[in-house]
Amino acid sequence: MATPQVVIAPLLVALGTAVLALLTRWDTRVQRATSILGAVAYLGGVAALFRAVRLDPDNRLVYQVSGWDAPFGITLVADPLSTLLLALAAVVSLVAAVYSTRAVDLEGQRLSYHALYHLMVVGVTGALLTGDVFNLFVWFEVMLMSSYVLVAFDSGPASTRAALQYAVLNLLGSAVMLLAIGGLYATTGTLNMADMARRLAEPAAYGIDPAPVLGISAVLLVVFLLKAGVVPFQFWVPDAYRAAPAPVTAMLAGVVKKVGVYAVLRLYFTVFAAAPVAVSLPGIEGGPELGVLAFFGPVLFLLATASTLLGGLGAIDQPDLEGLLAYSSIAQIGFILLPVAVAATATDPAVRTVGVAAALVYSVNHGLAKSLLYMAGGAVEDAVGSTRLSDLGGLTETTPVLSGVVLVGALSLVGIPPLTGFFAKLLVFDTAVRAGAPLALGVALAGAVLTIAYATRVWNRAFWGDPGPRVQAAAAAALTRAGSTMEEAGDAVTDGGADPGAAPEDASAGHGDAHDQHHGDLSAAASIADPLLVGCTLALAVLLVALGVGFDPLYTAATDAASAALDTGAYVDAVDPTTAGEALADGGGGGSGGAHDIETLRSLRGDGR
Amino acid sequence: MSDREPTVIAKTVTRMVVPIIAVTAVALLVQGHNLPGGGFIAGVLTATAFVLLYVIYGLDTVRRTLVLRSEGYGFLSGPTESYARAFAGGLAIAVTAGIAAVAFGVPFLTQGVVFVEDIPLYGELEYASALAFDLGVYFVVVGSLLTIIAVVGKE
Repeated sequence: MATPQVVIAPLLVALGTAVLALLTRWDTRVQRATSILGAVAYLGGVAALFRAVRLDPDNRLVYQVSGWDAPFGITLVADPLSTLLLALAAVVSLVAAVYSTRAVDLEGQRLSYHALYHLMVVGVTGALLTGDVFNLFVWFEVMLMSSYVLVAFDSGPASTRAALQYAVLNLLGSAVMLLAIGGLYATTGTLNMADMARRLAEPAAYGIDPAPVLGISAVLLVVFLLKAGVVPFQFWVPDAYRAAPAPVTAMLAGVVKKVGVYAVLRLYFTVFAAAPVAVSLPGIEGGPELGVLAFFGPVLFLLATASTLLGGLGAIDQPDLEGLLAYSSIAQIGFILLPVAVAATATDPAVRTVGVAAALVYSVNHGLAKSLLYMAGGAVEDAVGSTRLSDLGGLTETTPVLSGVVLVGALSLVGIPPLTGFFAKLLVFDTAVRAGAPLALGVALAGAVLTIAYATRVWNRAFWGDPGPRVQAAAAAALTRAGSTMEEAGDAVTDGGADPGAAPEDASAGHGDAHDQHHGDLSAAASIADPLLVGCTLALAVLLVALGVGFDPLYTAATDAASAALDTGAYVDAVDPTTAGEALADGGGGGSGGAHDIETLRSLRGDGR
Repeated sequence: MSDREPTVIAKTVTRMVVPIIAVTAVALLVQGHNLPGGGFIAGVLTATAFVLLYVIYGLDTVRRTLVLRSEGYGFLSGPTESYARAFAGGLAIAVTAGIAAVAFGVPFLTQGVVFVEDIPLYGELEYASALAFDLGVYFVVVGSLLTIIAVVGKE
């Protein structure tokens, strides 16, 4: 079998960029260029992989790292599910990388920012590609270790406290995850996901007892949901998201959260669902066709409901933009899990596919919209010096483009056609209706109403209305810098709360009509926000509109991804852990790893070296 | 730093022990791909040699006599810059060692081995490509541990 090197391309590009960002510390311009070019190359690598997977007859590309065959080596598997989320990661990470060059302070960028940022992308990529449970843990750690530092990057008391909380919680989560993975290995005798699914499907043939998998996978679920920030594991979210720099928060909320969702889809639907464990809960008749999912469906449903409602209610009451967006993230992750929960208890494969596809479309929508909103929030903070809703107001006059962008992002969260969010919400409702789950439909409706409530609140308080004092001061300062009506604006620049440094070159305040401005005419300042920051958010807004208008490719990709997530048999066949596995399963024991003869292993090497 | 100088015995023993630690570290590094050892443990051992020097001779002496390059500024001044460079360089070596396999058309991180036989006096020599990767790991470990020690020690 020819080795599809394209599978590892995104991983290597991100890793190489991180190393180069460390090596180019002598010149910050070169370093920033490296970082952005690396992010562009990463997007290219992901696009190539996406295409390769689509062209592949099985829609799956398998890569045996270091030439060791599954189930002994580390296997990377690229299928439509991985590539869809990789594409999301690539787009958001490129935009956030460009945004970072302006939003993060220069000394921080020089020291470690870009390297850590790209290492976080490496972790995300690895977690999305790996076909090995232990390797998944390793990539989670790579991702989290970089994010610990990035959350603490402002190194103020608040961010240090938030980062400590974030680090301790996630370390605890990682310890539990390791424990659970150890339990899985003890139970099934393998760590390779495909091999695990194969063994769980026929436990008798391999002499294993699949019953403990139910408990172990429940423990694992806690870890994934902690990383995804689902109620009741949501308490770290607002502090960490407030503390981290805006582009990092965009990545955390837009991409890193989705890795937790991905892990749930991949492990529970592809791997654990194969186990013939009959679970019966009130209201759900467990059968072999549902397996452990009969247990996880109701659990996920409860948590998704709690997330949607608590997050939505919490968002309505937040005093600042970042806190509001953080609670909104909690609510939206509930929206992502809701169709997953419905799919888990649905016996009809068509409903399952729609449910998982709905979750994926919603993930893409939320990833784009939320990172857009966080970056817009960062641009507001950069321009005005505050994101407290009481300090803001009238931003439509002072930052027209940014306001338009935020409107697109907020409407996409709410779900207004023709934005991507409309189809995402539609698919969630569709799943609930098809599965005949009125309760899920009710939760989704309540969540949608709450979304409208807090989106409206942002718009009314921050963007409409009379400009707050800080906004006026920032606008006046921008006018002064633009070199027009110095004498009139000068006396307004007493507050001094304006952004330091960032000179809006294209504050196209229009030198022509500069003379007939009078004090307080804020629209003359055209835009007080940094044009680069606004440009980044604008790119995401355009994408949200484009994906909504031309929804078909996204829908196809999501449906393919959902079928891939649900098709355990094809996944096992693609990885094909049998050849190497059977050769070693002498005596059919297969309990623990066992002592392998080094010669046997050598003969199993793919290239025969 | 402290009011008492380390004793002559401590200083002399350190002088003797540090080279031994260094040689042991190199031995562990070189045999690492198929015997106990490897880049990580060799790096930790090397770092302990440096820590011993720091403890006995103090931060300043080590900086003056051992670490020649001392440009850089702010947080990463003096030896820390060199350590950070060792870290980045090591990472680059390790990644390059992995990517080299891709250039040969085999999967990432695939390793090869060459046996050179009939060498006078020595007999057989084994050149494993895993050594390059181990070397990268070695520098990463040395660089990161010493960065931590130097930065924390300075405070």
